[in-house]
Amino acid sequence: MSPWAAAPAGATTDPSGGFLSWRVGRAVARNWAACFLLAMLVVFSFTGRNFLSFVNFQNVVHLQTLPLLLAAAETFVIITGGIDLSIGFVAGLASVTAAKLMQLLLSAGLQGGGVIALGTAGALLLSLLPGLVNGLVITRFKVPPFIATLGMWGIANGVALKLCQGFPVADLPGALPRIGNGYLLYLLPGRFVSFLDRPVDFPEARIREVWRIIPFSLPFVLLVLGSLAFLLRRGRFGRHTYAIGGSMDAAIRAGIDVDGHLVRIYVLASALAGLAGVFNVFQTGIGNYTTFSSMYELFAVAAVVIGGASLSGGKGRILGSAVGVLVLAFLENGLAISGVQPFYRYILVGVLLVVAVVIDKLFPDLF
Amino acid sequence: MRRLLVASLLVLCAGLPGVSRAAGKPKILFMPGVADPFYFTMEKGIKAKAAEIGADLTVAEYPKSWGPDAQVPILQAAIAAGKYDLLLIAPTSTDALKAPLKGIYDKGVEIITVDTFIGDGDYSKPSDYNFPLSYIGSDNELGGKQMAQQLAKLVGGKGKVFVEATNPDASSVQGRVKGFKAGAAESGLQLVGVEWCQDVQQKAQEQTLAALQKDKDIVGIFGTNVFSAQGSYQAVVNAGLTGAVKIASWDATKELIGALKKGQVDLVLAQKPAEMGSLAVDWGVKYLKDKKGVKVPKKVIPGFEFFTKANVDDPKMQQFIYQ
Repeated sequence: MSPWAAAPAGATTDPSGGFLSWRVGRAVARNWAACFLLAMLVVFSFTGRNFLSFVNFQNVVHLQTLPLLLAAAETFVIITGGIDLSIGFVAGLASVTAAKLMQLLLSAGLQGGGVIALGTAGALLLSLLPGLVNGLVITRFKVPPFIATLGMWGIANGVALKLCQGFPVADLPGALPRIGNGYLLYLLPGRFVSFLDRPVDFPEARIREVWRIIPFSLPFVLLVLGSLAFLLRRGRFGRHTYAIGGSMDAAIRAGIDVDGHLVRIYVLASALAGLAGVFNVFQTGIGNYTTFSSMYELFAVAAVVIGGASLSGGKGRILGSAVGVLVLAFLENGLAISGVQPFYRYILVGVLLVVAVVIDKLFPDLF
Repeated sequence: MRRLLVASLLVLCAGLPGVSRAAGKPKILFMPGVADPFYFTMEKGIKAKAAEIGADLTVAEYPKSWGPDAQVPILQAAIAAGKYDLLLIAPTSTDALKAPLKGIYDKGVEIITVDTFIGDGDYSKPSDYNFPLSYIGSDNELGGKQMAQQLAKLVGGKGKVFVEATNPDASSVQGRVKGFKAGAAESGLQLVGVEWCQDVQQKAQEQTLAALQKDKDIVGIFGTNVFSAQGSYQAVVNAGLTGAVKIASWDATKELIGALKKGQVDLVLAQKPAEMGSLAVDWGVKYLKDKKGVKVPKKVIPGFEFFTKANVDDPKMQQFIYQ
């Protein structure tokens, strides 16, 4: 545990007495990821044709729903000083389970909304289980989180592959991708304005001119992340989370039920991963197992670290992690639109991650 | 007494391997490239053929990711665990698999490479990689080229196209991209970019959306395998451009065929993984039974089928869907 992280985030005092320049500098360093994100958006607007566009930003955010949920899950775990490597495969397991359940219900003769609701609920319920096992193994048997969740990493993937036999699970209700990729508003200037769905007399020939505004995924992800941020910033649950990450011993001495809290944290992480997996079914219309090269969990950790959390625990914010996800997403998107070759992008993402940790180490008391 | 012991030991040593090989069923090991629908379908073809002709089949663990670092340890462990007469393998690297396979070959195991190959895949000329009996797989370059020609027909012979590929280090994928490039140039299509999604559908989606943003007038996309094709058609769905951007996809999974029926995908190339597997068992066992008499072709190419909206319900086409 880092000694400077013993207090909850936001409780640091200003040692220099508040010179304006120092304050500005501190604000920039504190939120360097957000500043970096803004700088990146400006640069790519010049280098990439069509980068600066409402449609592009909307697309990027829409596609980051799954990474945003996984990063939020990882944020809670990392604040406690742990790590959860299983979330990527738990997401895949939830995606496959939801799809399989829906297939079963369809073949049992059920129709429409009930199939979707039951499949979703079943998969979400099941996704609590990996977290419960992780939490119990970590607290009861004192297995380091890295190892315990690495075990679950394999188990979740194996079960998912067993369930789907290595094939994406198809033939699901057609409404799924319409919901997952739906928009609040459809607009063709001078022709129509339509809420929630494309108008019936949709002109297929002018498909490229239609404006689609605010994907359903945006209010959904804002609601989830907002509630999580609230949970973390206000009230006992958040305080205990930071306290455990700041110093486990102090938390125990303060009478916090550390073991119980950790179990709840891992269950929460796994539930969020499940939510991400179920959302994936809505977005793609099929059940997808997570492939090994996805490395969702590692990119979630990266986003959380870029967002200002420390792997030694005690600090981190949901908003910061969300910024971290967007930094990685826009870096990829902007470089691609600017025509940078794929292999250079891998290098740049790697450099960025190291820089994030260096900043964390150089200015530890700024956060 | 002692002489008798020595003699019987000698007989045992000399005789046992020979006896077990001649009398028992041929023992085959199948080493797939990676856990994906293509190889699962190939395994079905291999299993069926092995059961039909009475061969003893072992399927090695499916590597979890594509590459020699994942495949070679599994291969070595499988070879060490049992005695095999024939190895059917999809090498995950054109170079890194040469030495391990040579080692296995030198122990007396015949090798057929399926789907992918080592070196340049031409085992008929003198080289340090010409020891496999045969390469049985698709001519990926030809497939890529035919794909470009078919796609050109769909988009009216002009416009910008984009390739969503998977692993830049696999011979099969390189071939598809190379062939598509050549075919696109010949058919009057302008290739505006190639991206690599490493088998991650989410990445393929992100990359395709970025490409559609960069070049708003893209008319066609070629997805080089299951994950890249799914990701790219879903990106087109995400962008609300279904119908305006034609999607050509490699590999006929049920899911992609379903998408074709819904009009989200426009062209699906079916390889014949089950047939590849079945041919490999067939040729391999024929050769094992009569090493002098049977001449195995150094390259066997089962060919392709193209699914379009017009023929997708044709009963004759259904056998080419991977399942």
